[in-house]
Amino acid sequence: MAFLSNLISGISLGSVYAIIALGYTMVYGIAKMLNFAHGDVIMVGAYMCFCAMNYWGLPPLAGILLAIIICTLLGIVIEKLAYKPLRAATSLAVLITAIGVSYFLQNAALLIFKADPKVFPSVVTLPNLRLFDGSLIISATSIITVIVSAIIMVALTLFVSRSKTGKAMRAVSEDKEAAQLMGINVNGTISVTFAIGSGLAAIAGVLLCSAYPTLMPTTGSMPGIKAFTAAVFGGIGSIPGAMLGGILLGVIEILGKAYISTELSDAIVFAVLIIVLLIKPTGLLGRKINEKV
Amino acid sequence: MANMLTVDNIDVYYGNIHALKGASFHVDEGEIVALIGANGAGKSTTLKTVSGMMHPKNGSITFLGEDITRTDSYKLPTKGMSHVPEGRRIFLQMTVMENLEMGAYIHKKLSQEDLDLVFRQFPRLEERRTQIAGTLSGGEQQMLAMGRALMSHPKLMMLDEPSMGLAPILVEQIFDIIKKLHESGTTILLVEQNAEMALQIADRAYVLESGRVTMTGTGAELAASDEIKKAYLGG
Repeated sequence: MAFLSNLISGISLGSVYAIIALGYTMVYGIAKMLNFAHGDVIMVGAYMCFCAMNYWGLPPLAGILLAIIICTLLGIVIEKLAYKPLRAATSLAVLITAIGVSYFLQNAALLIFKADPKVFPSVVTLPNLRLFDGSLIISATSIITVIVSAIIMVALTLFVSRSKTGKAMRAVSEDKEAAQLMGINVNGTISVTFAIGSGLAAIAGVLLCSAYPTLMPTTGSMPGIKAFTAAVFGGIGSIPGAMLGGILLGVIEILGKAYISTELSDAIVFAVLIIVLLIKPTGLLGRKINEKV
Repeated sequence: MANMLTVDNIDVYYGNIHALKGASFHVDEGEIVALIGANGAGKSTTLKTVSGMMHPKNGSITFLGEDITRTDSYKLPTKGMSHVPEGRRIFLQMTVMENLEMGAYIHKKLSQEDLDLVFRQFPRLEERRTQIAGTLSGGEQQMLAMGRALMSHPKLMMLDEPSMGLAPILVEQIFDIIKKLHESGTTILLVEQNAEMALQIADRAYVLESGRVTMTGTGAELAASDEIKKAYLGG
């Protein structure tokens, strides 16, 4: 029973990683850049939801909606101001800029919300699920997290494979110049990608803080790095890869914590990544370089 | 005949390299115009500049009476221009159908009529509609690139080396299709290294040499010229 309970927490945490990893992987697929500020967008989303519920007395759902809207706009603005001017620059310049944006967001949050951690009230107010006469308790937050993630994954997969905009995104990811010759506005498509990724980050932030209620300006950085790891683990640029990588990473982390060592759990996660990359350098579902989405 | 495209005295640079040096030419409605010349003469650069992938430093480009010298390339398909780039550049990881859908991106909805038209022209594509484009043969990929360009209903279709890397029999086939497209009313601007084939079907042609237009005439005139024969037609 304890194993089952751990497994469920792992899948739940992994679903959050997966949602964040989707943002990383989509942006990488389209703009060919690693947006290291992505983790901090999670934090902004969580603070927005926190403020809405605690200071402005809004219901949780309104808080989530506000977080999504703010983060979506934030993603578009970050891309316009920080990354778009560097479209022709070297990837190193873009990477350093992304790290700069990450520090900027963390420090802006430090200035506004101060360093002391806030206790984030879970947005899920349903009772926990008790199975087998109470010997297995599954938190309602875990269940909602898994359900929401599953919906996001299905919706995103359908969007990218079926919708016109989704197909245009894949075309841009494969060949920007050819996409332009089709009449696709590449800059617009990149903006849409950042918007979607950042909106998802807001949801991830709220779900993450509902399960792990400490909210600080650095709250987004570790999950951000883990989700980046998950994206690489699954094969960066691949949407199913990000999902699989995220969930596996969460499960490995929680099981490692429960059965091997609490202190070493992060080390175990990264060790698994190294081993996978040694055996399959493109990640679990990754394809050849240049063949992305 | 109404003027469709006028390129007036353009200078194009790749960094410090002066790739086009005051090149001028025009294409009238209903014509097939060929640009011929050796490797590195600036043929592809010319097409890229016309379709907005590059912009000239000086000079102007006018398409259907509108100045498009600095227009972004993604805005040109809506104006009726379509460019089949060098190396085909189809979306290799997408299916044949999806490639055609991308060709029709500027239209609100994908029309079955357009698809039928392309499939009539290229029956092979219909057979392979669900196949991933990267698995097609070279000739089929060229057909897909042209079919994809047709989906936008171009008034002017620019083709960059459509015969490149194809077996002679396929080259004939591709040129037949270009002729058919032309007969159905599409104006064609063709860039070719295969000068013989290009001059055969072209109404008029321009010869590019290191970034300059050095000769012009009807296809037949140029094909008969000694200079051209020596330089491009193997004697």
